[in-house]
Amino acid sequence: MSAPAVEIRDLRYRYPDGRVGLDGVSLTVEEGETVGLIGPNGAGKSTLLMHLNGILPDAYRGAPSIFIHGVPVEKATLLRIRREVGLLFEDPDDQLLSPTVWEDIAFGPRQWDWPEAEVEAAVGRALADVGLEGFGRLSPHHLSNGEKQRVCLAGIMVSRPKVLALDEPTRALDPRGRRRLQAILGGLDAVKIIATHDLELVAETCGRAFVLDGGKIAAAGPAVEVLADEPLMLAHGLETPHILKNGACR
Amino acid sequence: MKHERVDRLSRGESPVHRLSPGLKTAAAFAFILAVTLIPFRVGAVFAAAGALLVLAIAAGRVPAAYLLKRLLLLEPVIAAVAGLALFQPGGAARFAAMAVKSTLCVGAVLALSATTPAAGILAFFRALRVPSILTSMAALTVRYVHVLGDELRRMRRARRSRTFRGGKARAWRSAAAAAGHLFVRSTERAERIYRAMAARGWR
Repeated sequence: MSAPAVEIRDLRYRYPDGRVGLDGVSLTVEEGETVGLIGPNGAGKSTLLMHLNGILPDAYRGAPSIFIHGVPVEKATLLRIRREVGLLFEDPDDQLLSPTVWEDIAFGPRQWDWPEAEVEAAVGRALADVGLEGFGRLSPHHLSNGEKQRVCLAGIMVSRPKVLALDEPTRALDPRGRRRLQAILGGLDAVKIIATHDLELVAETCGRAFVLDGGKIAAAGPAVEVLADEPLMLAHGLETPHILKNGACR
Repeated sequence: MKHERVDRLSRGESPVHRLSPGLKTAAAFAFILAVTLIPFRVGAVFAAAGALLVLAIAAGRVPAAYLLKRLLLLEPVIAAVAGLALFQPGGAARFAAMAVKSTLCVGAVLALSATTPAAGILAFFRALRVPSILTSMAALTVRYVHVLGDELRRMRRARRSRTFRGGKARAWRSAAAAAGHLFVRSTERAERIYRAMAARGWR
């Protein structure tokens, strides 16, 4: 049997100021899955995602606790892991760092020293993936939030990652932008881990859900079952989405 | 906002805008190099340089008010530096040389930035194989001037909406607080940007 897409074993992390961020998180995500990571503010969702491609911890000590397709996330494998795991940050303005959309999407491939012709082709493909053909010459400053978000996604998809870690992907989107993003995500061929407060998104797109609270996994299971468990949801600062309440299950 | 103005101007339409960004950048640098190196005694050269610059500005349809405002902002700095020359023997001539040369150089940079999108200028430097750390830093600056400008504007608006009484002392105090706040926000953002860059393979 092949290794799972993502395997986390007893992951622990303290913030630089000493607070406990992650307190023994273990979870496994199989190939082809889309899973939701839900929980109150400060539960450690973003911190967990940043571990997936080695942004955290800042220094590596001891045995690795995360494996991507069986490859441990450690200092020696970081560059390879960062190519395999695409991370979408919460604020698009943190991620869009070039003067034009085109340059921004080319940022990753240029780091990997791809030949210029290949970069060109890959950027074109990535723009098409997110439905932004013809936006290449614009400055990120002129885009709407939804468009910025899609450029960020293109900037990640351009290197064809096998795992996508998305931090609050629908946070700043209007309903149209949200629908659009959902459709785009559905068409992407990668394992997806979505950290979000958008519980309807989890109900609609995720097979399984993990509830994270206080740096620990408090519950895990099929997304619809986890979300429909009202006492569980309320205990962790969440709520059962309306689409599940009215019996209109999926 | 100022950064938006230059952005809009640089994407305008004129014979100068249609020239290739590389050509314009190279021309501006050749101009600056010549102005800096040619001795000021050769007065005709500087009259010609000034005329050339004015011609380029006119052909590029750069609004005079836009240029003058920015020149006026920078002129005190130029005057202060050149003013030091007045205390040296033959000071007046040196002062004139420094003031004229600096003004021409600043004018050339302003004209370039008002007729050429920043991305074009950066692409030119990248093609020249200028070390990537320099081009990356310039690109980040261009990009985040916009973000910081927006942030400052939001902070100002929020402050104004809660300010009921005026007074100079109060205004200065809150401006100082805003500057401090912006600094903290920028530092935090810098940290997040670095992480986002690392996540995409930055080494």
